[in-house]
Amino acid sequence: MRARRGRVNGVVLALGLVIVVPLVALLGSGFGNNPRAVPSVLVGKPAPGFTLRDLDGAPVSLEALRGRPVVLNFWSTWCQPCRLEHPLLQDAARAWPDVAFLGVVYNDEAEKCRRYLDKAGSAYPALIDPDGRVAIDYGVAGVPETFIVAPDGTIAHKHVGPLNGAQLRAYLTPLREPG
Amino acid sequence: MPPIGAPELGTLLVLASLFFAAAGAILGLVGGAQHHLAAWAWARRAAFGFAGTMIAANLLMVWALVTKDFSVHYVAEVGSRATPLTFSIVSLWASLNGSILFWGGVLAVYTLAFVSAHGHRHREYMPYTLGILLANAVFFTLLVGGIANPFERVTPIPLDGPGPNPLLQNHWLMVVHPPMLYLGYVGMVVPFAMICAALLAGRLDAGWMLPLRRWMLIPWSFLTVGIVLGGWWSYGVLGWGGAWAWDPVENASFHPWLTGTAFIHSAMVFQRRGTLRVWTLVLGMATFLLTLVGTFMTRSGVFNSVHSFTQSDIGPVFLVYIAITLTFSVVLLALREHTLAYDEGDRAARTSLMGALFGRDMHPLGREFSILLQNAVFTVFTFTVLLGTLYPLVAEAIDGRQVSVGEPYFDRWALPLGLLMVFLMGVGPALPWGRIAPRAAAAKLGPPVVTGAVTAALFAAAGFTGLWSLVALFLCGFALHANAAEFITPWRARVRSRGEAVLPAAGAVFRRTRRRFGGHVAHVGIILAVVALALSKGYKRETDLTLRPGETAAVHDVAVTFDRASMAEEPHRTRVNAVFHVTRDGRPLATLSPGMNYYPSQREPIFTPDVHSTLAIDTYLSVVELGTDGEYVVVRVISMPGIAWLWIAPFVIVLGTLIALWPEPRGQRAAAPAGAGAVAK
Repeated sequence: MRARRGRVNGVVLALGLVIVVPLVALLGSGFGNNPRAVPSVLVGKPAPGFTLRDLDGAPVSLEALRGRPVVLNFWSTWCQPCRLEHPLLQDAARAWPDVAFLGVVYNDEAEKCRRYLDKAGSAYPALIDPDGRVAIDYGVAGVPETFIVAPDGTIAHKHVGPLNGAQLRAYLTPLREPG
Repeated sequence: MPPIGAPELGTLLVLASLFFAAAGAILGLVGGAQHHLAAWAWARRAAFGFAGTMIAANLLMVWALVTKDFSVHYVAEVGSRATPLTFSIVSLWASLNGSILFWGGVLAVYTLAFVSAHGHRHREYMPYTLGILLANAVFFTLLVGGIANPFERVTPIPLDGPGPNPLLQNHWLMVVHPPMLYLGYVGMVVPFAMICAALLAGRLDAGWMLPLRRWMLIPWSFLTVGIVLGGWWSYGVLGWGGAWAWDPVENASFHPWLTGTAFIHSAMVFQRRGTLRVWTLVLGMATFLLTLVGTFMTRSGVFNSVHSFTQSDIGPVFLVYIAITLTFSVVLLALREHTLAYDEGDRAARTSLMGALFGRDMHPLGREFSILLQNAVFTVFTFTVLLGTLYPLVAEAIDGRQVSVGEPYFDRWALPLGLLMVFLMGVGPALPWGRIAPRAAAAKLGPPVVTGAVTAALFAAAGFTGLWSLVALFLCGFALHANAAEFITPWRARVRSRGEAVLPAAGAVFRRTRRRFGGHVAHVGIILAVVALALSKGYKRETDLTLRPGETAAVHDVAVTFDRASMAEEPHRTRVNAVFHVTRDGRPLATLSPGMNYYPSQREPIFTPDVHSTLAIDTYLSVVELGTDGEYVVVRVISMPGIAWLWIAPFVIVLGTLIALWPEPRGQRAAAPAGAGAVAK
């Protein structure tokens, strides 16, 4: 036994490394993915154009708003977080007349929206998106989702989930004309 | 002069603990190699220093969270003024940086307990053990003090924070489940360090194996409880009426449980016969290494799962740590494995699994052999689950495909392997150490088989059908009888042949066979869990109902009436509930209000089912859809028999473990059997 001291058991070493090396390599390969992130390829690109009708039937076109920052908010009445952020968007729309606010109704009925807005207040147009075409163009996965469109017509930010005041201000401040 | 507050004090404590850990690691390893007693004494002091400062750092963070000290980075990240006190405290493990600090804290508690328990004994092993233990501590304190420093000062000090992860605030089990898992995961470093010490010292005797097995049992119990509580949480919160989804992170906690369980059993063979040394050590090391892999899976965001809410930049550092630890373990084993053999001729038979399997002293009708089979089943199970968990990563690494390995794969393997485990759990205790004549084996196993058959027949008569569930119930009856007989047979023998009174005889048997008795109790806990799984999986009924207020529908064995929808604003969330009255056979059973909780920081609501639970059957209601003004509701009604036993099972297992772990009264300690080399009866 003495004579064998210092001997390396090659079988154990080989077997161990055969398991260990690929395992570490594998764990390493999965890095850098954020499994939760839903990156938008649209940020920095021109915002897909559209002309939609609001609840009263008046046409609203995104292109016509070029030159002003636009807050494009996808929402629905069945979405609880949308209801949470609704007052904030109303107040912001009243406070910043230089910013255009648009609500796009996602998977909902016009009648329900009208009843809801009568109760909750409506400071900007709510647009009906037949067949969800615009939502598809913007890659909306769920509501609320908000796109901030810069005056030059490119998408500056995409926000998933309800907004708070600080976030909205942070998104819009660089885009608004000083003063 | 910069301000001095919690951020500075915390950073200082963490740096001090880093110093103690590093010094202790070096002193321990050098002290072990040089047999230097003074170095060992200083390593012990360093261990106390590490534990003290690390625990103090954790307490300081809790204090900062409770007092809403937003100048501390971590508090600004997860705290909020609206968070209730309990959730402020548990925010310690709500997010990544805090949980790493908490990890360090748990390691400190284990270090403290370990050093206090073994103090000055085991001088061949202790210095090495402390060295390895503190070397692991160095890594975590480096993380806490460096990239993941939760104590960083925030300027200007924010007025309020976003509050902890909503999932954490949604259920009381979230207060208990994570720390249990941490206690299970982190604690595995103690047996790991003890095993490395045995390899470094080049010896392993029964006097070291006994505490080693104990230090495995302690985290193993926490792990068991943590896993089941996680399932309970999933059942109570996620709204799909199940407890286990083979989620990568659930699997990650299951791997070390499997190898740990195998270790606990093969260590018995070692203690009894002196065989299976290296194999047992491999299992013990694998258990710790799998907890590291599990932590990595949980925390690095490599996998998409309920748990990967923590995006982090500590991933690469952690990966390096895993790589070092894995390589160190393999190389150490390869270099030192030969030192553990008794003598050359017997080497293979005594150290390796194959050697023991085909060695001359292993008989198919003996307990050793059944434990060996158990080991094989648990190892195969570990590899199966590991492969299924990692396969999506393999596929993506090779050709970029996104695949997922679903429940069917795991269930297909878990069913036969699980049943085989239950079978062996009955056979093992029934067979004696050594060997037994076939006729005697048949006589011992016959009655349990009858009990199993009767159990299955009773359930079948009660209307339970389905082959696999009945097979599982048969095996449970069989294993239950076999384990109970181990206690009842000697008890009856004492009462009959020696004429002892009933209770004193039971007490005497309990005292004489206490450790084994604990094992049998733990087996009963496992059997309860298997029964619960067989019943709840085999006989689950699930129906979606659409109801308007006031409407009633009969479903399964109950009638469900939708009363109304209600909404409540709480400081940290909005609750929307639907209230139902549930009756059975015309008698009111319960008023259940499942619903949805909305947290300001999240878009999707968190569904909160509501359950009426009895030992016989659970009635589980979960809202699928709720009309805007509560004018209709779609509710999922799930009936699951026997699932409540699944939540009772871990406590029975822990009770068994405690019985086995409880220290001998001082006077009897010396008389405890030496273990290894003891001749089988």
